[in-house]
Amino acid sequence: MNYETIIGIEIHCELNTNTKMFSAAPVRFKEAPNSCTNEIDLGMPGTLPCLNIHAVELALRACMGTHCEIDPLVKFDRKNYYYSDLPKGFQITQQFHPIGKNGYLNIQTKDGMKKIRLNRIHMEEDTAKQFHTSSGSLVDFNRAGTPLIEIVSEPDMRSGEEAAAYVEELKNMLYYLGVSDCKMEEGSMRCDVNISLRPVGSDKFGTKTEIKNLNSISNVQKAVDYETQRQKELLENGGVVEQETRRFDEATKTTVLMRKKEGNVDYKFFPEPNIFPILLDESWIESIRNSQPELPSQRKEKYMNDYGLSEYDASTLVQTKELSDFYDEVVSHTKEYKLAANWCMVEMMAVLNKENIAFKDNPCSPHHLAEMIEMMKANEISSKQAKTVFEEIMKGKDPKKVVEEKGMKQISDPNEILKLVTQVLNENPQAILDFKNGKGRAVGALVGAIMKLSHGQANPKLANQILNEELKKR
Amino acid sequence: MRLSDFSKDIEKNVDLSVSKLNDAQKKLNAIVTMIEPDEQIKEVKEKDPALPLYGIPVAIKDNITTKNIRTTASSRILDNYVPVYDATVIKKLKEAGAVMVAKTSMDELGMGGTNLNAYTGKVNNPYDVKRISGGSSGGSAALVAQGVVPVALGTDTGDSIRKPAAYCGVVGFKPTYGRISRYGVIPYASSLDHVGYFTTNIVDAARMLSILAGRDDHDMTSSYEPVDDYEKKLNSDIKGKKIAVLENVMSSIQDERIIQNFNELVEKLEKRGAIVERIQLDDALLQTLLPVYLIIANAEACANHSNLDGVRFGMREEGKDLEEIMINSRTKGFSSAVRKRFVLGSYSLFVENQDKLFRKAQKVRRVIVNEFKKVLDEYDCVMASAASTIAPHPEESVGEKMSDTYLVAENFMVLGNMSGYPSLTLPSGFVEGCPIGINVTAKAFDEQTLLNICKAVEEETGLENVTVEVQR
Repeated sequence: MNYETIIGIEIHCELNTNTKMFSAAPVRFKEAPNSCTNEIDLGMPGTLPCLNIHAVELALRACMGTHCEIDPLVKFDRKNYYYSDLPKGFQITQQFHPIGKNGYLNIQTKDGMKKIRLNRIHMEEDTAKQFHTSSGSLVDFNRAGTPLIEIVSEPDMRSGEEAAAYVEELKNMLYYLGVSDCKMEEGSMRCDVNISLRPVGSDKFGTKTEIKNLNSISNVQKAVDYETQRQKELLENGGVVEQETRRFDEATKTTVLMRKKEGNVDYKFFPEPNIFPILLDESWIESIRNSQPELPSQRKEKYMNDYGLSEYDASTLVQTKELSDFYDEVVSHTKEYKLAANWCMVEMMAVLNKENIAFKDNPCSPHHLAEMIEMMKANEISSKQAKTVFEEIMKGKDPKKVVEEKGMKQISDPNEILKLVTQVLNENPQAILDFKNGKGRAVGALVGAIMKLSHGQANPKLANQILNEELKKR
Repeated sequence: MRLSDFSKDIEKNVDLSVSKLNDAQKKLNAIVTMIEPDEQIKEVKEKDPALPLYGIPVAIKDNITTKNIRTTASSRILDNYVPVYDATVIKKLKEAGAVMVAKTSMDELGMGGTNLNAYTGKVNNPYDVKRISGGSSGGSAALVAQGVVPVALGTDTGDSIRKPAAYCGVVGFKPTYGRISRYGVIPYASSLDHVGYFTTNIVDAARMLSILAGRDDHDMTSSYEPVDDYEKKLNSDIKGKKIAVLENVMSSIQDERIIQNFNELVEKLEKRGAIVERIQLDDALLQTLLPVYLIIANAEACANHSNLDGVRFGMREEGKDLEEIMINSRTKGFSSAVRKRFVLGSYSLFVENQDKLFRKAQKVRRVIVNEFKKVLDEYDCVMASAASTIAPHPEESVGEKMSDTYLVAENFMVLGNMSGYPSLTLPSGFVEGCPIGINVTAKAFDEQTLLNICKAVEEETGLENVTVEVQR
């Protein structure tokens, strides 16, 4: 029998705020354990939540980026359970009234663009981080209370490839919007995938399994591919899929059982009494909408339609926000879009990768690169010279200074070049004879001599042209 | 004791209170923790003597968080809990120059109306130690009635300030929900909890409101409504004021002496030019007050107190794993009365019960409040006797009889918590040597009218600044 894989994805994403969802404690990574906490994060008796408005703004940006309907009446609920990573004994979340719902996202698949529907986006607070050691469990409350959004898709994906494309698209978008730093490997973006199989043509869903905490896009694909195969074999051998929570084991590239679901846990959700419903100001929502950063899809469109870049170049640029930001900065100083794209994507990335330099430490200024490109365009330096200049600007140097110091300004004045040509021709009568006798190679030798005489500064194209004219006259 | 009786001599003021504390404690058992005042005295001396509470000794209910001072909420599970922060009201008291001398006993976590359910035991009524103080803010009420402190903070979720105020013969005031910050107050039920206080007279009650009220960014439910100078604007001219007597309450009271006391007061108010009318709410609605209250309060409470698990603070009972530590700590840390309320609360939140219990209770609350609001749209205040009896003996107060007297007369003050409207109890007389009181409730944020009417009542009863020491 042929089966169809049904995939839905839940993503938890930590918001890029300075402080926590409901307290003024700082949100920072890699700080000493329990140093970024206050009485609220620790669930001390008598504390009350105070909503972080910046977190609401970022949640709105995520909703807008994913075409969600926005509920301007913000409400929170309590989710009750006892665990050591949950200091209050309940989590404040948005169970009944998510801030966004009924959105969608377009992803690229091998069959073209596909629309993935979003069920909801809601705000909540993160739990503390636990470390289980042989001598006992340790809890770090620095993460407790960190603002989160949970993004729940509809079961619209059909393959590991689509699942990975969805996560990648979402990750890229949220990063562009400044909503989150989306570091899956550090846990600031966490991905749970629900998978079930059904016979092709059936409209009923099969029993699903959930794979928790996938920490990279490639693992999303691998986990889905493995789990699809596992369920398929199970069904083909007459078995049944059981509802269970699994995890992806990187070493064996398989999914491993964590726990079976035995009935649903009753979290006793009820409205949070300490936060009255908050009606967001329409004009505030509009001001956020009007200040939405450009999305990767919008930039790509601009690169292709306005700058004439190829689809491949445009995609490559937007794949990394820092590269795209850099490129945008470069082309604000030069109109040589294609040339700029090449230098950014190929030459610059090669150096950064080779030297293992992070983007934030990139010594090259976009303005300098643009200047160099402009010099090439104005024939002030040759492309060969440009390579040398580029090496220097990648060390943080000003291209004008480099050209000056190395005395490599290109000679493009026809009178100057004519002088050079005349001198070389006068010194090489044999070469003129060779030329007249049809030896084309003689021209190359003469150009070489001109370049030598000019210390490489003569504009080769111009030199070639004037040389040919002069040769004909002799 | 009036605030105005105190001089600017801090040591003398505090010594006077402290010297009474030990005897009062022997008599009343009202104190959980005595506070060493020396450090505070030093701090206050640096401050401006013009401060409204400069050098005034105060007592604090033990569910209000005090930095570096043990705060137990009269629960075993918090017996060793020393907070790292001050509640907003504590900050405000300190800023006003007050000196805290005691943390007072209460029904465990605010759950109860008798103060019999405190980890430190029963609080005795200052007028008859065999009788109860009422609760849950019993310790605070008793200390003010005894004349140990002029002011004590309390909290009120059902009637936890206004009932003990009636039994102890003092002024007990719970302003509008959101008027005083709840930040740092160990909750019972967040949507019903109010911070308030006890004084011996209405002038002091007015002054305290200006000190404690105001928006607090730490409490999102606190109000931006501006704070007035209530003391300065106090005006006992109530000519033309419309007063509704809640007849459902008065008709279910059995004790003729209490009814007579109330009726005499009404006559006096009428003589002052007030328009008093007897109104009747739907009895069926009033009979739902207690069950609706218990469902909402305990549902919120069981979540609110999930943080008390013995893991991060408080009394820990060991166990073989985390779950066992939590179960053991909570089993041993709470009294059976509290655990009973948690079970009730949890039950009403279960997914299969929530619609017919918790959600329904919230809807009925809305209906009740709408009816109550209609009354206050027409009248300046609603008035009734604050209790159907004088303070009972412990054995008389335990049974929760489902009689009209119990359901209506003993629980109607929860209207003030469900609606959030400002509500005040003040003494109206004595029966068998024990105080009785009346309760007045006004419109939201109309504390000034409430205080004005109560000032007129106080002038009529003459029961201003009554303590056990200064009886009339």
